[in-house]
Amino acid sequence: MSATHDSTIPSTPLAAGVPADALLARLAERFQAVRDPLDRWDLTVLVAREQMRDCLRFLRDEPDLRFDMLLDVSGVDYLAFPGHRGARFAVQYPLKSTAFRHRIRVKVMVDENDCTVPSVHDLWKIADWSERETWDQYGIVFAGHPNLKRLLNHHEFSGHPLRKDYPCQKRQKLSVNDPMDDQLEARLVARGYTVVERGDRDLGTGAITHSAAVTPGATP
Amino acid sequence: MKVLTPEGEHAHLMTVNLGPAHPATHGTLRIAAALDGETIAGAACEMGYLHRGFEKMVEQGTYQMVLPFTDRLNYCSAMINNIAFCKAVEKMFAVEVPERCIVLRVILMELSRIIDHLVCVCTNLVDLGALTNFWYFFNVREEVYIVWEKLCGARLTNTVTRIGGMYRDAYPGFEDDVARVLTRIEAAVAEVRGLIEKNKIFMDRTKDICVVSAEQAVSYGWTGPCLRASGVDRDMRKDEPYYGYETYQFDTVVGTTGDTYDRIMIRIYEMLESVSICRQALGRLKPGPVNTSDARLSLPSRQQVYHDMEALINNFKLIYEGVRPPAGECYDAVEAANGELGFLITSDGGTNPYRIKVRPPCFTQYAALSEMLEGELVADFAASLGSINIIAGELDR
Repeated sequence: MSATHDSTIPSTPLAAGVPADALLARLAERFQAVRDPLDRWDLTVLVAREQMRDCLRFLRDEPDLRFDMLLDVSGVDYLAFPGHRGARFAVQYPLKSTAFRHRIRVKVMVDENDCTVPSVHDLWKIADWSERETWDQYGIVFAGHPNLKRLLNHHEFSGHPLRKDYPCQKRQKLSVNDPMDDQLEARLVARGYTVVERGDRDLGTGAITHSAAVTPGATP
Repeated sequence: MKVLTPEGEHAHLMTVNLGPAHPATHGTLRIAAALDGETIAGAACEMGYLHRGFEKMVEQGTYQMVLPFTDRLNYCSAMINNIAFCKAVEKMFAVEVPERCIVLRVILMELSRIIDHLVCVCTNLVDLGALTNFWYFFNVREEVYIVWEKLCGARLTNTVTRIGGMYRDAYPGFEDDVARVLTRIEAAVAEVRGLIEKNKIFMDRTKDICVVSAEQAVSYGWTGPCLRASGVDRDMRKDEPYYGYETYQFDTVVGTTGDTYDRIMIRIYEMLESVSICRQALGRLKPGPVNTSDARLSLPSRQQVYHDMEALINNFKLIYEGVRPPAGECYDAVEAANGELGFLITSDGGTNPYRIKVRPPCFTQYAALSEMLEGELVADFAASLGSINIIAGELDR
């Protein structure tokens, strides 16, 4: 039996975390972070886009912080927010630690005309999908993401549904399934395979047989 | 497709779709897999087949109108979603719900955790061909649903809580019914444990299959039973206790290998811990109000509405406009059956939520599936998918 269920083994309690004020002071000194004006209940820090990756890496790697878990990547569109000034979008990164009892949210404001944020898919594996979702819903580009494609909405969808100017009742239909060859080939390449020739999709439930654009004898 | 393997040999991979309508996906999920014989050489996962635009819908109505939508996230344990959402909004109001409400919520959450694990484990075993366990577990699950019916009239989508309390107090005899169901659950768990724990076929199919290391699990943001199966001893009920969980005696169950076997067995043991928490909570259930007296959240009594002008206005405002949390952004989470279920709520001070982001626990688990499956046999796909307990409702929202 490998799952242990022995009540004599005490569970290891989380160590006390760094207090919010001290954490904020450190981030303010190092990354010019400020407390988010909308923050009333948790600790949320606003950092500039240029410093965001460094800040997140610092939070993850610092031995007494160890925010090793990225819980989510979440976008917000402040277009209709009363009294809001400045950049239209924000991206939030809620973090928690598996070693200390503390949490933090890092927030970056993103301007509509330069809707780009650096990707953190190399810092946390989950960021790959979470960033795809945020791109899908808000149209925020994550620079450096290996394959920024839609996640929740289908691949023929146009627009970004969670933007405040996207009409709630608008529907978009899908005609042909996404063959997902790009993702599959990327997985194979990552594992050391070289794709020599693409073929038609073999039998499978829900499969759409499609004629893939095959370059004859193509070797990447 | 023709490929060169990492060893430099020519090979022909067969690409197949596992899903979206596959009996073992228990929902609509699609995995495009490239097979090298019986081995999965590469897998790409797709989601979104059950995407109903939860996060867009909830912006259109009041906070109270969000509650029935939360039922449709993880529909195997709808009450946990109800409670998690109400708890997040109550945090924004800085309102403490009454003691009886807290204890009731603990009982409902732990029973919901049990039925969620029951479904997860027994359908997982069906995928492996062990049908008998399904009947043992679905029988007791049905008994819990009968309690739900008596409690709120609904079985699957309960909407049992309200912001600031409960839909209604427990019915007379609720404690006896729960105590009886707990005994039945223990018996069912014991039977299934006896059938699978040392079962050679089961162990051959699950031991050392689709192993996820602690580092991988943390990097993928795993929480809940799947994280604990990988040996990371983290449980929000212990680490950041809410609703007095620190005062209950229970153990966190932790695995050592992070394989399919651990992920299934952890749920079996966790059910017994939840039974113990439920019993302790039943002993603490004292008579009292279940709704807060805070007029910003709770409706006044009928008697007051008929005889008092202020109460009438309050009733009208709460029904027609809804609650108004202060402007700001708030994250709150609970340890749901599958892991950390969080709500990140942006309020503009109005009656409609400006933005609600759900942090569904199984999103992170599904994101790791590609990596889990690669290098494994295609026959193990169903068992490992079942062991991470993907609920499409909360995955796709």
